[in-house]
Amino acid sequence: MSTRPAHWGDPELSKFDPLPRIMAYDKFSDGMRGYTALVGNYEYTLDNVLPGFRDMNQPMLSNGSHWETGTHGALSGTYALKIASRPRPRSVNMALKRMTFRKACPIQIEAYFAIKPEATELLLSDLDVGAFGLVLDLQDNERRIMPHVRYLNALGGERQQKWQYKSVLEMPHEVGGDASTGETRSHHHFGADGWVDVPGGAQELCYNEVPTKYNWHYFKLGFDLASMSFTHLQCNDRVFDVSTLEPMRMGAWPNLNCMLNVCWTIESDSNKRAFLYLDSVLVSGDWADA
Amino acid sequence: MRESISAVVARNDVWEGVAASEPYEVAWASEAVIFLRNLASTGTPETARAWVQISPDGLHWTDEGTLLAIPREGDLTSVRIRGFGAYLRVMTVLPEGSSFKALLTFSLKE
Repeated sequence: MSTRPAHWGDPELSKFDPLPRIMAYDKFSDGMRGYTALVGNYEYTLDNVLPGFRDMNQPMLSNGSHWETGTHGALSGTYALKIASRPRPRSVNMALKRMTFRKACPIQIEAYFAIKPEATELLLSDLDVGAFGLVLDLQDNERRIMPHVRYLNALGGERQQKWQYKSVLEMPHEVGGDASTGETRSHHHFGADGWVDVPGGAQELCYNEVPTKYNWHYFKLGFDLASMSFTHLQCNDRVFDVSTLEPMRMGAWPNLNCMLNVCWTIESDSNKRAFLYLDSVLVSGDWADA
Repeated sequence: MRESISAVVARNDVWEGVAASEPYEVAWASEAVIFLRNLASTGTPETARAWVQISPDGLHWTDEGTLLAIPREGDLTSVRIRGFGAYLRVMTVLPEGSSFKALLTFSLKE
């Protein structure tokens, strides 16, 4: 007789495949759950925020209300976390949850998501969303490690529909202008350059015909905090080979030890706002305290 | 416990001419305090007024009826509103030659 995992009997968790310990389960019909906006680092004035961070603002709780159908709702309830770009090509927004880890162990980030453009045209509009992605921002006592994966939907109006990762470093900049103290830096790590295709990473998602219909997709990323390497990348029925994927690796930055930030991005490819909707996110790990 | 969110909808955005904040979804909230700070001015934006707009879809907007003073550089203004539906934004029309860096916060409560 097969043994079913205990969480299969829980209607909230049954659709996930968590590691033994749940670090955060965030169903956004319960609220914002600690997800917030990213502000680019700065000293003295917000004018010193690097340009790639200036479009960023607060995520919102969305019930997905549209002009022709009314409220769409989410998968697990009425509300999803909505991250919106500005209405211009390559505008990026990010929402993140800031945590730390107790032990360097395998972790997983699972989510149910949808991506859509703003419904400003009565057309298919499936190439208006540029990309969405997940960045982990991690640091142990010696290294800062930043795994980046994204689904590149369109680039310059051309269909792409593939998963990518980024491991090349972006140059850090001081952020105090002429009076920089040298204590705070910023790097535009999710910028447009340096992305590499995941081997076999082509995938067509369920766009579903018009901008106002969402179909919720499953996403899972696995990462080992001990070896600081990818262990899993999955979207719906596709599990990708992560053996060649590399995170960004750099020396430790000051005051970031044991950091575990879960950062979701959305990027437009057109003059329409691009939206990433997250129904729920589950972060789990496999550890025992020594 | 009632959900509450203070959303910084515009952060150091330069407002000039016809300007509006990004659409923000508020269907879950029943009340809002809108705060507007002027981080830096050119000209005299404080001679204009901003106003609150609401929308059923984030695309089509209508005036909610509340006016919001544009603060002088370094100052803060606010208004309280209730019963605003699904989407909220603030817009203004500034005189030629006037602009300011806006910090717009919606303090929302369930």
